[in-house]
Amino acid sequence: MSEPLALRRPRVALRAGQRALLPLLGILLLGAIFNANGAFFRWQTHAALLREVSVYGILACGMTVVIVSGGIDLAVGSLLGLCAVSFALLTLPLGLPAALALVAVLALGAAAGALAGFLIARLQLPPFIVTLALLVFARGLAKQLSGGQKVSTYLQGADGQFSRLAVPELYSQLDARVLGGNLSVVTLVFAACAGLSWVVLQRQRVGRYLYALGGNAQAARLSGVPVRATLCFAYAFSGFCAAVAGICQAAQELQGDPETGAGYELDAIAMVVLGGTRLSGGSGGIGWTVIGVLTLGYLQKVLSLNAFSSELRLMLTGVILVLALLFQRKSTPS
Amino acid sequence: MHTRRGWFAGVALGLGLLALSCERKSAAPVGTGGASTSTGGPAPKPFLIGVSQSNLGEPYRVQMNADLAREAKAHPELSLVFKDAQNDSLRQRAQVEELVSQGVQLLIISPKEGAPLTAPVAAVYDQGMPVIVLDRRVEGDRFSVFIGPDNRRIGQAAGKWAVSALAGKGKLVELEGLMTSSPARERHDGFWEGVQREQNPGIEVLFSADTQWLEPNARREMESALAAHPHIDLVFAHNDPGAHGAYLAAKAAGREQEMKFIGIDALPQEGVQYVRDGWLDVTFAYSTCAKEAIDTALALRDQRPVPKEIIVGTRRFEAGNVAQGGVPIEGL
Repeated sequence: MSEPLALRRPRVALRAGQRALLPLLGILLLGAIFNANGAFFRWQTHAALLREVSVYGILACGMTVVIVSGGIDLAVGSLLGLCAVSFALLTLPLGLPAALALVAVLALGAAAGALAGFLIARLQLPPFIVTLALLVFARGLAKQLSGGQKVSTYLQGADGQFSRLAVPELYSQLDARVLGGNLSVVTLVFAACAGLSWVVLQRQRVGRYLYALGGNAQAARLSGVPVRATLCFAYAFSGFCAAVAGICQAAQELQGDPETGAGYELDAIAMVVLGGTRLSGGSGGIGWTVIGVLTLGYLQKVLSLNAFSSELRLMLTGVILVLALLFQRKSTPS
Repeated sequence: MHTRRGWFAGVALGLGLLALSCERKSAAPVGTGGASTSTGGPAPKPFLIGVSQSNLGEPYRVQMNADLAREAKAHPELSLVFKDAQNDSLRQRAQVEELVSQGVQLLIISPKEGAPLTAPVAAVYDQGMPVIVLDRRVEGDRFSVFIGPDNRRIGQAAGKWAVSALAGKGKLVELEGLMTSSPARERHDGFWEGVQREQNPGIEVLFSADTQWLEPNARREMESALAAHPHIDLVFAHNDPGAHGAYLAAKAAGREQEMKFIGIDALPQEGVQYVRDGWLDVTFAYSTCAKEAIDTALALRDQRPVPKEIIVGTRRFEAGNVAQGGVPIEGL
């Protein structure tokens, strides 16, 4: 089953993508019907949606690379929190230049991911457990570093009085809008991450290695794919994306919250799968993940615009996720 | 295979050691008195207090522990031992038993949930040890004192403020906390009792959503509210981070001047600073009750009479009074 699929990969991916479009179109149609007094037809609603999904989308970019390789990365939400706290700590109380902090935090994310990749590739531990351990560890470290409190722009002195810290311009630059206030900068960051993932998966040798590894690990190993390096790269890339997302989150909240990003990994996985990338690896691609991101984002937006109760939202999200996946599978050629 | 297992054991051991060291750190006594209880030396006689905290994930609870430690510092004979139950009732139950066997002389507990911790608290109380229950209640009356703020009354104060700020007429957005948690429900109920809708029919809810206390969620919901409604007079958020998320959304839409913002909690590094910055119109303190807890602990130690229940009042913080530390609210 997996071998012919691996051989026909480009065509299968295309079909998966076409199928991924249908749930998105269905949800857009729902939005047009339940348009909340025409709010759905205003561009600002869509600009807001594109901002809201960006952080999740950035995580989903890294997640796609990991899932294509046949793995899973549960640590991205916690890493996001750790990186948000680290970035806020470095820039606010410690007052480091934003550029330096940016590089340090991106390196931290990539290093944490690479460590997970090392444990998975070199010691052959299951990705589920390794990244679960990193999930717990990174959240603990975020709380330890921040002392359990949000790292904010207010610093308490020895006398108990609060002083306001200077906020580096990078914060407002990341949370700004461009093109006449029509597009958020974080959306552009998401687009850049998606572009980078596309280059990695489609235009680099490592991309072919990743697909080969996810399609059939044994065959890939025998045909000379550098398995350890490739896996390390996949998780490091995912960690890097989590760091980018963490910096965007800190910039948008104007603080480093050690609790932020909890549960985001599940949204990121759902987005990747909604795009038609198989959890078993070896297929799919970033373009379809972007569609998955928009599908889940628009679903949340339509429910939110119409002020559905949270209970109903959770149930509807579950039902629609299953329907979307069933719909994809039904049209799979047997 | 052997080496792989060895690696795994090493990693597990490392993680375990790390967890242990964290645990030890958080359980370290605060204050100048030693952890030993047996010495009956000259005054001041050391007095060991065990503090069982339900979790340290919420900034409010981190603040509560910090406030307790600060208040205890003024009394050098007091020594505090903290335990964090990490939001797990059974772990908290075990930690209560640990504290007792560690020889604490008084227990302060902020329980995760009332029902599962009623029996452990009662068992400690029946041994003759004074128990102060903080913030959340346990069932029955087998504890010494309950000390807590009243979410419903805080909600009522916020509702009254909203009516007077809107002069009885206006469109509002309510950004709720986690509605399955009792603070969110009580703040919601109290708010609408304070608004008295029968007498103020001009107050209209445009939009309400559950934010689970989270700022990113509040910002997202507020963006939807802004998109669906061309005019909003007031945002009532169940916590200050929710108000902050709403403010950021309104600011991005260039509509932050159009509406007033109400928050709750007034933590010194959050809500109070937001009022100081000028965008948050009002916030109501949800006290950590630390001063009351330490005062009560001293009274219990000296066997002075204490009431069974102490409801700690709220303070209102607005631009005009934030420099003076807010004003107490009458009748609360």
